[in-house]
Amino acid sequence: MDVDTGRTSPVEFDREHSRRSFLKTAAWATAALSAAGIGGFAASTRFANAQAGPNYPTYQGLGDAAILGFALQLERLEGTFYARGVDAGLFSGPALAQIATIRDHEMAHVDAIASTLAAVGAPVPPVPNLTFPPGTFDDPGAFLKLAATFEPVGIGAYGGAAGALESKDLLAAALSIHNVECQHRVAINILNGVLPPNNLAFEPTLPFGAVGAAVAPFGVTPG
Amino acid sequence: MENQTINVPGAEGFAQPRTRRDFFKALAVAGVGAAAGTTLITSEAFAQGGGDADIFNFALTLEFLERDFYQMALDRGVLSGAALGVVTNLRDHEQAHVDAITAALLGAGATPVAKPEFTFPPESLASQAGVIKLASVLEPTGVGAYLGAAPMIKSPDLLEAAGTIAGVEGDHVVAIKNLQGIVPPANVAFAQALTKDQVLAAIAPFLGMAAMPATGGPGE
Repeated sequence: MDVDTGRTSPVEFDREHSRRSFLKTAAWATAALSAAGIGGFAASTRFANAQAGPNYPTYQGLGDAAILGFALQLERLEGTFYARGVDAGLFSGPALAQIATIRDHEMAHVDAIASTLAAVGAPVPPVPNLTFPPGTFDDPGAFLKLAATFEPVGIGAYGGAAGALESKDLLAAALSIHNVECQHRVAINILNGVLPPNNLAFEPTLPFGAVGAAVAPFGVTPG
Repeated sequence: MENQTINVPGAEGFAQPRTRRDFFKALAVAGVGAAAGTTLITSEAFAQGGGDADIFNFALTLEFLERDFYQMALDRGVLSGAALGVVTNLRDHEQAHVDAITAALLGAGATPVAKPEFTFPPESLASQAGVIKLASVLEPTGVGAYLGAAPMIKSPDLLEAAGTIAGVEGDHVVAIKNLQGIVPPANVAFAQALTKDQVLAAIAPFLGMAAMPATGGPGE
């Protein structure tokens, strides 16, 4: 699987922070995710799509350890993102409680996956050098907008990879985490004022290449 | 930091029904007994023992249950505001799941089970709070059922499809918690799988049964 296919060139991250640059950044992040084929799903037909063209074959051949290693990097990306959002003091009250809790969940996923890899003697990939668009941690709206794009990537990755996992124990664990990522998506919808927040009839899966392309601009690469 | 242990008790419960007879007994409890004998259709997608058809028919029963409850709740007219929007989507999603699972079963040459008649406690339909309270029971049960059954699904195509539905049941859990005023609404680090018996025990009251009949499980 050529995960570089469709990769979007990272923008310059050394620009000074400004409201104006955030607007560019938001457009960039949206474009990157859009280029990866994320968004624009017709939810009502997604089940049929999954039947007709499931995404699990794009994860087959990687092996359970590599799939898990990639999942670890995605969780690190999310966990770091939410931790920095909390540390930046962007939120208070119920919103802070939710963001901090999501951070804890992602970190719990990191620990669970890392310990699983270690337990089976598989290599634990090094912590990636993560990078976020300028302005991400300057404004709650910017942060939540990016959160709303991160969660579907994680959901799509777990949902897509599930059918390729050989270990039934890992499959069960992956779907347990997948479900929590779905719960996060709705929690972010709530913070974004999306009504009703439960707005999908099916949670889309994503092919491996699309996930890789979506997270590459943030410094995450498979394997 | 929350629980960091991934505990998936459901896999074994679905994985190895103690005997075939027990499994049918359990299905009968779920109200699908009349059709259970006809669900074991051999086909490519549901080959190797017919387990996938059983699992999807079991899921179909749960989706019927949820769809019927939300439809009744909407018909009662006790919902308003944000709750009305959420429950309307719940009804629509469960109906979409019913349709998708039915199509998947038919597409694989299996026979979808007929919809059972469900009864709900009067208080669960008498007020918005009652609807939300029962929804807060049904949705985690749906999540747990899919998570418990998933490792037993043999077809990776069907497994992926089941995941797209299971995730939505997780969506529903958070939407309901939000209506209940739980802060924060997304408050579980690992979603819990349920055994088949646990699922059956949770839904038995809506199948007109006062108590859970024996299913041949441990401790009986």
